[in-house]
Amino acid sequence: MPVEIPKDSWPGAVNTVTLGATGDQGGSRTSTVTIGGERSLPFMHFESPMPHRPAIAMEIAPARPADWSAVLLEAWGATADDPGSWARACEEAGADLILLQFGLKGSGDEPVSADFAVAAVKAVLGSTGLPLVVVGPGQAEVDNSILVPIADATKGERLVLGLCEEGNYRTLVAAAMANDHLVLGKTPMDVNLAKQLNILMSDMGLGRDRVVMDPTTAALGYGIEYGYSVMERLRLAALQGDGMTQFPILVTPGAEAWKAKESKVGEGTPAEWGEWRQRGMNWEALTAVSLVEAGAHVVVLRHPESLRRVRAAIDELMASETA
Amino acid sequence: MSRYIATRAIRGANALVSEAEAMLEQALGERGPETPVAFPNTAYYLPVIFGMMGKEIGQLGELPGILAHARSLLHPTPSEEHWTPYLGETLDSGMATLIAAEVIEAIRYVYGLQPESMPGFKLAGGTAFTSPDSDGGDGGPDGHLNGAIDDIQLRSWGIQLVDGRMPGFAAIVGCARSNEAAVQIVRQLQQRNILCFLSGNVNGRSIIDQLAEEGVELGYDTYTVPFGRDTISAIYALGFATRSALTFGGLKGGQAREILTYNKDRVFAFVLALGEVDDLKYSAAAGAINFGFPVIADTVIPQILPTGVTTYEHVVSMPWNEIEGADDSEKAKRLVQKCIEVRGVKIRMADVPVPVPYGSAFEGEVVRKADMRAEFGGRGSRCFEHLKMAKLDDVTDGKIEVVGPDLSTVEDQGSMDMGIVVEVAGRKMEQDFEPVLERQIHYFVNGASGIQHIGQRDITWIRISKKAADVGFSLEDFGKILHARFHSDFGAIVDKVQVTIFTDPALVEGRLAEARRAYDFRNRRLADLTDDAVDEFYSCTLCQSFAPNHVCIVSPERLGLCGAYNWLDCKASFSINPTGPNQPIRLGRKLDAVSGYWEGTKDYARIGSHGVVEEVAMYSIMQNPMTACGCFECIVMVIPEANGVMVVSREDTSMTPAGMTFSTLAGMAGGGIQTPGVMGVGKYYLISPKFISADGGFKRVVWMSSVLKEAMARELEVVAERAGDAELIERIADERSVTSVDELLPWLEAHAHPALAMDPIF
Repeated sequence: MPVEIPKDSWPGAVNTVTLGATGDQGGSRTSTVTIGGERSLPFMHFESPMPHRPAIAMEIAPARPADWSAVLLEAWGATADDPGSWARACEEAGADLILLQFGLKGSGDEPVSADFAVAAVKAVLGSTGLPLVVVGPGQAEVDNSILVPIADATKGERLVLGLCEEGNYRTLVAAAMANDHLVLGKTPMDVNLAKQLNILMSDMGLGRDRVVMDPTTAALGYGIEYGYSVMERLRLAALQGDGMTQFPILVTPGAEAWKAKESKVGEGTPAEWGEWRQRGMNWEALTAVSLVEAGAHVVVLRHPESLRRVRAAIDELMASETA
Repeated sequence: MSRYIATRAIRGANALVSEAEAMLEQALGERGPETPVAFPNTAYYLPVIFGMMGKEIGQLGELPGILAHARSLLHPTPSEEHWTPYLGETLDSGMATLIAAEVIEAIRYVYGLQPESMPGFKLAGGTAFTSPDSDGGDGGPDGHLNGAIDDIQLRSWGIQLVDGRMPGFAAIVGCARSNEAAVQIVRQLQQRNILCFLSGNVNGRSIIDQLAEEGVELGYDTYTVPFGRDTISAIYALGFATRSALTFGGLKGGQAREILTYNKDRVFAFVLALGEVDDLKYSAAAGAINFGFPVIADTVIPQILPTGVTTYEHVVSMPWNEIEGADDSEKAKRLVQKCIEVRGVKIRMADVPVPVPYGSAFEGEVVRKADMRAEFGGRGSRCFEHLKMAKLDDVTDGKIEVVGPDLSTVEDQGSMDMGIVVEVAGRKMEQDFEPVLERQIHYFVNGASGIQHIGQRDITWIRISKKAADVGFSLEDFGKILHARFHSDFGAIVDKVQVTIFTDPALVEGRLAEARRAYDFRNRRLADLTDDAVDEFYSCTLCQSFAPNHVCIVSPERLGLCGAYNWLDCKASFSINPTGPNQPIRLGRKLDAVSGYWEGTKDYARIGSHGVVEEVAMYSIMQNPMTACGCFECIVMVIPEANGVMVVSREDTSMTPAGMTFSTLAGMAGGGIQTPGVMGVGKYYLISPKFISADGGFKRVVWMSSVLKEAMARELEVVAERAGDAELIERIADERSVTSVDELLPWLEAHAHPALAMDPIF
């Protein structure tokens, strides 16, 4: 018996945002990434085809990170010693874009400085042609002190600068507007707070095509359902036509998953937890794929194998378009 | 607009445009139309012309068209006899002046006359300048003033202007009354992080000369930029403002209206005219007003007080010799304070300057008797706090005064009378906000480590610990805390805060009586504040983080179900945070006065609940009751058998006649689901005349947790009186006598409860 599948038709759409700029567009990237534009819930191809695939960003640090799992550092080997070579390795591994995450430390034990940060960003831009997201340590003053000089030094690249939070969004938005960059707004798992930050950033005159939002997520087993629910509600509101929830979403399942005990701890775990390496990668990939299904436009990962697995999952989800 | 100002501004503009035309003609003849024109190190051409007209000027030959446009903006001066509107003409003339001034400076750059030379002068950082005709040609900072600001500095300062680290800029034009006055004015502005742009002169003498003579360093490094010693060079300030909008506002050349609005709304700049104001200054000021920058003069000039193009007053006169103050320094302080008020510049307070640690982590601290240095209020003394609104001119921001004996006079563990009187003034302050702000004193004072604050109004009780007193905490510090916190948390509505702490028993007596009159006035005001008396309710979506589709509609007679937000709180919250969780709901047409439906509430219910709830009746539990998150103080639920409702308090854990305890009921009442017959409410809604008034009102209450009866005994008495039955509360059962529906009915009959005789609730 033929079954007619009911179709929803929504009045709203997610904004389309392009990350990175090529030589012709005023930057130096060899490729750009365009996300968003959906007019339906994720992967509901029969309702409305998805104009762009979810993208995968790989996270790197300006110096070999001290707080990353040994499993990750082993996977990246010596490339992780230097942001340029690390970024190139990510590109070779098949990443769509790079996310450079700064901490409070610069080289050695020195606090992170503007010179150090600008040099790291230049190294990454010099060694890869992928678009770049640059994220500060998350303390408003430190973020401003490195991100403004980075914005000035990379005018026209359409970098994504983060994190814009309630305390510092003005500075970052101004820096982005003055230098043709994008911003990443982050709010703690709450639809209304996300919406409010989007209103505040838009009020400054920042275009709709220049904001990406991170509504915050959590790892599998650590509250992912809250993150999932917030993303789902943001998407529903966006489709219903609420302009201030229509920004594409970037989330960081890699960082979250590798914070979980299940992926962090290698010894003294119950035998049924299985082999450590596999477990960590499973955790990251499962978290990431769940969030892709919730409507993430960019997932930020850490392990190259997770990249391969999540890519395969996205391929399958997108392939059903034609099936 | 003053006709006098209009006349002089229009005259000044005519003169300047003619001067520019003459200079241009000569320059074209001497240097030729292909001669490049540019300000140093900028990508914005001649910025005002680029911003306003969208023209990318690169050569002298392009300037005649620009001046032709300027001329087209000129008008004849207003007629002596026939007064026609002249605001538009004056503003146009102002714009023509700016264009002409920029053309003149551009030509002067061609001739190497800009930046203006000033032998012996050293810039403390400035625009790198290279011209073969300038001093030495090395671009060094010596022997000349700054001229136009370059793009590098624009970015660095612009970003601080946008994010608020720098509150605004002052374009100072002319010459101060004395060198000391000049220094003090600049110092006062610098202290507030306000950027100073210097230009102009009076009879050949400029504030730049005054400051240079006094050895004040001028240049980028000291945030005081000497543009030039004539009025025309003030154009660089507007070039800076235009470029700010282009750089940070995402605007394009030619978007004149957007650029001007951007400056009015976001760049907190003003013109400070020192000394005599001539025609050219009037016309330049008219140009600045286009940008929303008001003008404050230290001489007698006609004022333009109504609001319009600028946020507040357009032109304010504050004659120097009429300013109060013992010396120039005090006068300068008041003048600068006035400028800040007129422009609405917000001052940011970063820290609370007290000798003890400060933060919300200390809010719950208890100071025990044994650890106490002294107390105010409680059993041994009187203590009250009173926040009142005052006029801007009557409040000196930051003034803190202790009137009476100090802490040192109190014996150890002793007590003393104290009255804290806070006077606040602000452009957006309203008398209705007084109680909202006053209630914050509790949290603000408690944030200090070693200080305990209990109560409010005239039952305030404050303790200072020995530890806090030992590190130097004094009574004055209460004032410092309040000044800092009101600025940082309520800066949107509060511009000035002054605190007086009375400890002299006789004065406390008098001030207490005044405070009590105010409390009484507020109580009556609240009683008068009815749903019919307003045309806006407020939404509250604070709880949507966990109840995504619930929205509270808060009206004067129905506070939020959590009990924490009443209508006034929401109104203040909206003023402070216009994009926040409390948004006004315009009521529009009233659709049903009995059930409480308005066009506005109807539309909002659907939007706020994301389409889950179609309609909300403000006054009914039976049809379309308001939803709830989970924070409600009480649950109201219909008991069909008794033809009434029961009210269960959150604090009541016992069984109710509905056969369920509070926690089980909470599952039915919460989550943003509309369930007729069940509703979560704030306890003060119970005593409102609008409490389920569509269903019969308070007389429907057949059962109520005893804790509510006790805690609200006085208020309930009033309700009983209003219902015309003094015994009404005694007719209501509670958990001490009734815990099931079977027990309830005979009990109600025995007590002759009115609900039994009312129309069926269904």
